[in-house]
Parts: sequence; structure tokens; C-alpha cells
Amino acid sequence: MAQLIKVRPTKIELIKLRRRLSLASRIQKIVKDRLSILMLEFLQLARETVEARKELLDGFAEAYKALSTTAGYHGYIALEKEFTASEKTLEIISGSRNVAGSRIPSFELKETKEAARGYSLVDTSSWLDQTAQLSEKCLKAIIALAELQSGLELLGKEINRTKRIVNALEYLIIPSLQVTIRFLYMKFEERDREEKSRLKRVKVLLEQK
Amino acid sequence: MNRNRQMPNELSYQRILQEYLKDELRVLNAHLPCAQKSLSELLGEEYPNVVCNDGTAHLFKRKELEYLASMTDTDEQQILLLPMLIEVHPGQNEMAIICQGEVEKKVISKILDMPITVKQNRITIYKPQLALLRKPLKTTTQYLFSPKGLA
Repeated sequence: MAQLIKVRPTKIELIKLRRRLSLASRIQKIVKDRLSILMLEFLQLARETVEARKELLDGFAEAYKALSTTAGYHGYIALEKEFTASEKTLEIISGSRNVAGSRIPSFELKETKEAARGYSLVDTSSWLDQTAQLSEKCLKAIIALAELQSGLELLGKEINRTKRIVNALEYLIIPSLQVTIRFLYMKFEERDREEKSRLKRVKVLLEQK
Repeated sequence: MNRNRQMPNELSYQRILQEYLKDELRVLNAHLPCAQKSLSELLGEEYPNVVCNDGTAHLFKRKELEYLASMTDTDEQQILLLPMLIEVHPGQNEMAIICQGEVEKKVISKILDMPITVKQNRITIYKPQLALLRKPLKTTTQYLFSPKGLA
């Protein structure tokens, strides 16, 4: 039930209320559009997150399989030695992108131009190459999933917030403004009627005299 | 003192709400870039980005830039301005991509896999097409909320 706003029944207040109503309905249009875009992006992100997660799990399964084969072929100690040699720091470019007014983090693994992975190519087999390749793929998938998941979370929060605004506008602000405007119109009409009846009464009294 | 402590009355509450909503409208387009950059310029940067109206930096993904570069030749890369702006008209189902020339038309036509016409520097697309477009071009496109459709 829309609540009546307590205002003085004057024309100025009516004009102010009408202005406010037009502003509120304009904002409602925009916020509704924003909500639909956020929903669209959210659904797309959700689909991509599912795909990325599946890709990551498949990648991990493949990588672990390859790692166990490599460990069996080279032995753990030799493998550990090669791993130590191939250690390097990763550079992730982090920034943000904006989706309909909400900021979403964006991560990207910086590609290094070095072709060699650091370990000796003479002492190792192609199993290790395959393991390294699969691990790199996993790493990229982890970064992609991190971006998607944090984006999904932030978009979800923003959708909730926007929905609250849309609901407040649709069920509280706009109806209360409309009710108050209607009330003021009725008040003015009643004043007019009162005025007319008073004039009639005065006329009758003057005629009686 | 008593006056300071009392709760705001209904009218001021309404005013607070209106101010809040006005701010909401203001922040909606705050993310728009101060100036667009050409694709060739962005490809040459180490961290490709543009500065937005709110002072923040909008980072482009190199993968997306390379994807766009694969669809265009060197001359077109100098013309194609990024981020591409998708104009959202309130209360309407269609959106418009603001384009300067034929390059945008070529790129979008390739992504959507359908012929496209440009009218008054705008390419009209619909919501299902928007999802198709935004999937490969997440950072190279941005939304613009147009006040035009507001009557």
C-alpha cells in the first residue's frame, strides 16, 4: 500500500512532486535497463565459469597423469632437480573493467618471450615437456577462473543492490508520489467546490436581502 | 540539540532518496573513456589501457586486441577506435554501437556472422546479438547509457 507523503496542499508542492515523479520514472527506466544488462552479463559469466571450471578440472587430471608418468620415468629426485632449475616468477597483469557501472577485476598472465622452460633438454624426456605444457595450461585456466569467479560474485552483489533500488522505486517511491499527487488534485478540486458553494450561498443571502 | 537528534521527517527522507538516485544516474556513465585509442596504438602499449572519466584505468586484454587485429589490416587498425561504445536506450530492446567508419561494421559483421547496415553512425543490435558480441569483446566494448530515450 502506497503511503501518502505529508506535504502542504499547495500548487508549488504539486509542481515539486510532479517533477520528482518524472525524475523517479526516468531513473526507474535506466535502472531497469541496467539490471537487465547486469543479468545478461551475469548469466554469460556463469556459463563461462562452468566451462572454465570443467576445463580446469580436466586440465588438472591430465597434468597429474602426465606428472606421475614423468615421475615414474625420471624418478622423483631427478624431477625435483629439474623443477628447481625451471622455477621462475610469474607476472600477472591485473586491472579492472566496467560492466554497466560495476567494476570487475581483470587478470591476464603476461606471456614471457623465453622459449626454453629452464630445465636441461638433454637430460629430460618429452614427458617432462608435456607435463610442463599441461601445467602452464592449468595455470592459465586458474587465472581465468579466478577472474570469472570474482566477477560473478561482484555482479551478483550489484544485481542484488540494483534489484532493491528497482523494487523501492516500483513499489514505494513512485506509488507514494502518485498517491500524493492524486490526493493534492482531489484537495484542490474540493477547494474549488467549496469556493463555488460559498459563492452560491453568498449570492442567495444577497438575494434574500 | 533536540532538533538535531530527531529522525528526518518523511519529506527529507524523500529528498535523500532523490539525491541518492541522482547519484546513481551520475555513476552510471562515469566509466566512459576520456578518449578512445586506436587499435594499433593499443597494440604497441605494454599495458593497453584508457583513462576513464572517473579517473580509473580501463585495461584491455591483449588476447582481445590480437583477435581484433586478426580481423583487420594495418590501415584499419589505425582507424578502429577502442573501446567500442554500445549505446543503451532506456526502455527499448535495441541497442546501438557507435561507429566512426566501415571498420567497426566489418568487425561486428564478422563476429555476429551476419550482414549489418550503418545508419547515422550507429549499428543497431538486439539483446541476443549483444551476448554474442560481448563474449569475445569483453574489455574492448563498453556500455553507454543514453539519456535520449528518457521522456
